[in-house]
Amino acid sequence: MSYDTVAVDADGGAPFHGIGASVPRDDVDAKTAGTFAYAADLWAEGLLWAAVLRSPHPHARILSVDTTHAREMPGVHAVITAEDVPGEALHGRGRGDRPVFASDVVRHHGEAIAAVAADHPDTARMAAAAVIVEYELLEPVTDPEHAFEAEPLHPDGNLLRHIPLRRGDPEATGEIVVEGTYRIGRQDPAPIGAEAGLAVPRPDGGVEFYVGSTDPHAHRDAAAACFGLEPERVRVVVTGVPGADADREDPAFLLPLGLLALRTGCPVKLAASREDSFLGHTHRHPTLLRYRHHADGQGRLVKVEAQILLDGGAYADSSAEALAAAVSFACGPYVVPNAFVEGWAVRTNNPPSGYVRGEGAMQVCAAYEAQMDKVARKLGADPAEVRARNVLATGDVLPTGQTVTCPAPVAELLAAVREAPMPELPKDTPVEEWLLPGGPEGPGDPSAVRRGVGYGLGMVHLLGAEGSDEVATATVKIKDGVGTVLCAAVEYGQGFATLARQIVQEVLGLEDVVVAPVDTDQPPAGAGSRGRHTWVSAGAVERAAKMVRTQLLQPLADTFGMSAELLQIAEGKITSYDGLLSTTVVEALAGKELWATAQCRPHPTEPLDADGQGDAYVGLAFCAVRAVVDVDVEVGAVRVVELAVAQDVGRVLNPAQARARIEAGLTQGVGIALTENLRTQRGLVRHPDLGGYALPTALDAPDVRLVRLVEERDVVAPFGAKSVSTVPVVTAPAAIASAVRAATGRLVNRLPIRPQAAVVTGQ
Amino acid sequence: MCQSCHVRPVSTYRTAIRRGTGTRRFQAGGSGKGQAGLTTHTPHAPQAVTLPASLDEAVDALAATPTAVPVAGGTDLMAAVNSGRLRPSALVGLGRIAEIRGWQYQDGHALLGAGLTHARMGRPDFAALIPGLAAAARTAGPPQIRNAGTLGGNIASAAPTGDALPVLAALEATVIVAGPGGARREVPVSHLLAGVEMLRGGELIGYVRVPLLHAPQVFLKATGRTGPGRATASVALVLDPARRSVRCAVGAVAPMPLRPLEAEQWIAGLIDWDDNRALVPDAVTAFGDYVAAACIPDPAPAEDGSVQQLPPAVLHLRRTVAALARRALGRALS
Repeated sequence: MSYDTVAVDADGGAPFHGIGASVPRDDVDAKTAGTFAYAADLWAEGLLWAAVLRSPHPHARILSVDTTHAREMPGVHAVITAEDVPGEALHGRGRGDRPVFASDVVRHHGEAIAAVAADHPDTARMAAAAVIVEYELLEPVTDPEHAFEAEPLHPDGNLLRHIPLRRGDPEATGEIVVEGTYRIGRQDPAPIGAEAGLAVPRPDGGVEFYVGSTDPHAHRDAAAACFGLEPERVRVVVTGVPGADADREDPAFLLPLGLLALRTGCPVKLAASREDSFLGHTHRHPTLLRYRHHADGQGRLVKVEAQILLDGGAYADSSAEALAAAVSFACGPYVVPNAFVEGWAVRTNNPPSGYVRGEGAMQVCAAYEAQMDKVARKLGADPAEVRARNVLATGDVLPTGQTVTCPAPVAELLAAVREAPMPELPKDTPVEEWLLPGGPEGPGDPSAVRRGVGYGLGMVHLLGAEGSDEVATATVKIKDGVGTVLCAAVEYGQGFATLARQIVQEVLGLEDVVVAPVDTDQPPAGAGSRGRHTWVSAGAVERAAKMVRTQLLQPLADTFGMSAELLQIAEGKITSYDGLLSTTVVEALAGKELWATAQCRPHPTEPLDADGQGDAYVGLAFCAVRAVVDVDVEVGAVRVVELAVAQDVGRVLNPAQARARIEAGLTQGVGIALTENLRTQRGLVRHPDLGGYALPTALDAPDVRLVRLVEERDVVAPFGAKSVSTVPVVTAPAAIASAVRAATGRLVNRLPIRPQAAVVTGQ
Repeated sequence: MCQSCHVRPVSTYRTAIRRGTGTRRFQAGGSGKGQAGLTTHTPHAPQAVTLPASLDEAVDALAATPTAVPVAGGTDLMAAVNSGRLRPSALVGLGRIAEIRGWQYQDGHALLGAGLTHARMGRPDFAALIPGLAAAARTAGPPQIRNAGTLGGNIASAAPTGDALPVLAALEATVIVAGPGGARREVPVSHLLAGVEMLRGGELIGYVRVPLLHAPQVFLKATGRTGPGRATASVALVLDPARRSVRCAVGAVAPMPLRPLEAEQWIAGLIDWDDNRALVPDAVTAFGDYVAAACIPDPAPAEDGSVQQLPPAVLHLRRTVAALARRALGRALS
């Protein structure tokens, strides 16, 4: 079913609530009118402002920290350093290796050393600058290839994880062998709303956070451990979340804030500057990949050998998970009988890497798709045809030994984008109005522009992998004909709150459904990553709603001597199958309030073993993208004209939202492919601002042709729906690189594509 | 309603304003006295900002408060203030000086007010006058920046990526500087940018004097993306049929715009000025390479005489400059 037909249906009188309808977000009016209160707008009487002192060096020994001057400044209430951390000094996802404040060694540019609370943000900033830190500069390790033999940068060593994946016959060879080395840059999540939040001390000695956290329970636990408090005395209230595509307001941000509130006894607010934001949060793993593909004379893959090196930056964070994804999906959605992939994630003095949409999977996608182009070039075959000969299908085995049991309509997706009509050439408009690479009023010259078409196939896993417990709990209540959802799944722009409303509308036949704000007094629903809320949290909401439905209908069914399944609810009315019974939900409730709480826990997974084998993933999602690009081959300017996408979505719950999420993902992919790279020089972040870090603008965002959304339901997923956001991010860069390759004949082995790599010199 | 709106444990700026507590609107955000009894929060004193109505008043205001910083569009200055790099004790706002927000004609020249915004310069009436400056103004950033940023500010900031600067250099514009006591002096813009002459304390950029050439002018800039962005290289090229000369300036590759004078003279000698400015196509290509080689020269040979190679990124920059210069000349002559 294509999106366009759905849109027509929705406009033509289809239901405006319930599953399958394009229900608008409930905060859309407030956000467009500018009245939505973001976390940065929070205010409390008597609040103090925080500022963080960050290291100007990527690697240094701290000889002394003198806070005397800062403390004596008028208006300053507290200055805290590593000595003031009452509980655990280290935190971190997976592996606790990251100090709240650096005390002995600074391991990356921008690492926090001290924090100040003062009565004015400028005073706080000046006081932070007045903290005197004496450094002994150390040689930074910035090349991940040198991390192996370098002196350990951390007591835990420099190797964060190593996965050797071995499957099949190591001696197998093919008629065709292609090799390549690929480099992927450091993408920053660059949330348009920078980190901000408020910490308020509680009378019981605890602290409450009002922040836009995307994983409130994990952040609460990290904060409690650091403060030496019981988790019950720390509360995270999620409020005013600006959009996120990575972990927001992680402990590195929360902990200094909470410590200052505990120390001063006053509410403390921290609103990160853009520079603070760039230096303080984690980025996508810069990756070095070496590949060798063996294929037979028809281009069918025989063996893939790969080495993948992830630069984890100074601290582990989610590097282990990113590496697992990179190694597992190193061969892509293709049937590969023999795979030998070795992956490492290492510690360096670069800015820390962490969770960003499609981490691990995105980097390898760019590399294996480049390899597929090379195989095609060597064979002299159509790159799309070579891909079609190798695609994975349900029942095939992944290189990790896991059998693909979910729908894997890769062949169908590829066929759909191949058959899609090409974007029209602007034949009928005057040359001056063409949007050429370089932009309007730019230097573009039509005679130097070449058009290229490229394909990308990508895959990601949904939900946490390797045995992580992905449980979510949700509560649904109904009172006076209004449904309420209580679930700790954070709405950060991905549309979960809208989906939750739609689910309850559908199950309970109500129009009025509200989603309650999230805080850690509710049972956990986990981090908002890898599409887990669409799958797990929405599953819990549905289950709870169904329990409420049963509570509502069973007494009626008993009265009329029929089974509850024979009763229907629609638009607030309860009717029986034969139409004899008709009442309203409000009457049936008779003033009662019905509550139900349910959990959803997907089937368990197992960690990858010593050979990289194991059923590590709950669900998979696939996507095919055809990119059409224009390249100015003299100056190397690239403009993505159109991205045609076909995606495996399981089931469309909200067509408008699905389209928006796919468009957003593709645009983020355009950023990785063309401009986004947080550059460092010997470990120092250069240009930590939005002038130097070029995000795609509206003019850079391509036309998106949603060719096909394949709705084959995954039987193990609630409603059969899959999250749609991640896989376009993973696939679009590979497709764009492939198209630039087609336009220029250059290798394009580095992302973002530098202008000099998209130039045809002609000599 | 959004997820977070049902329970709002703390009020927000915006609710405070909506409730009509009007005084709060203008506070920079403070909580009154802190616990220590000392507070550094003082609402900005109104006299810290002066808004003179004429250029001479502005100069007087600067003389009265020598530490004051003049501000026009503020697109560069306020970014520095917001990031804490600059803490001006006082500001002299130039936005109300009507005389520098327009232009006038003066014996074959246009006297452009320093307060002309990029948005104003990008409009068709201005483009008919000085097309090169209009083209630079139209690419000078997103609409918000173009609406605020000014010609004078572009010169005062003197950023290497300032888009108006190569055009002014190619036009051989002069800056009219207003000083105390109604004094006016004229400084070539290239002298200001190269630091040959500097603005003295208490002086303001009043006007920019630009010749009206009545001939094609082109400004081309390469950026990293399709949307507005900072120039990685830019080329301004103007024809001066009266003097039978071509003037070209390359921006963003050096701290100030560069003029390839030899290349200009060479190409001006090849153009048939009497025959529709005809030129052989090969000469256009050679001009591009000439300009690029002049602005990004080969490195000097090493001491042992071996030839040094430019790094690939610099080679690409040179190639970009060559392409821009070639296209600019091609467009100017077409």
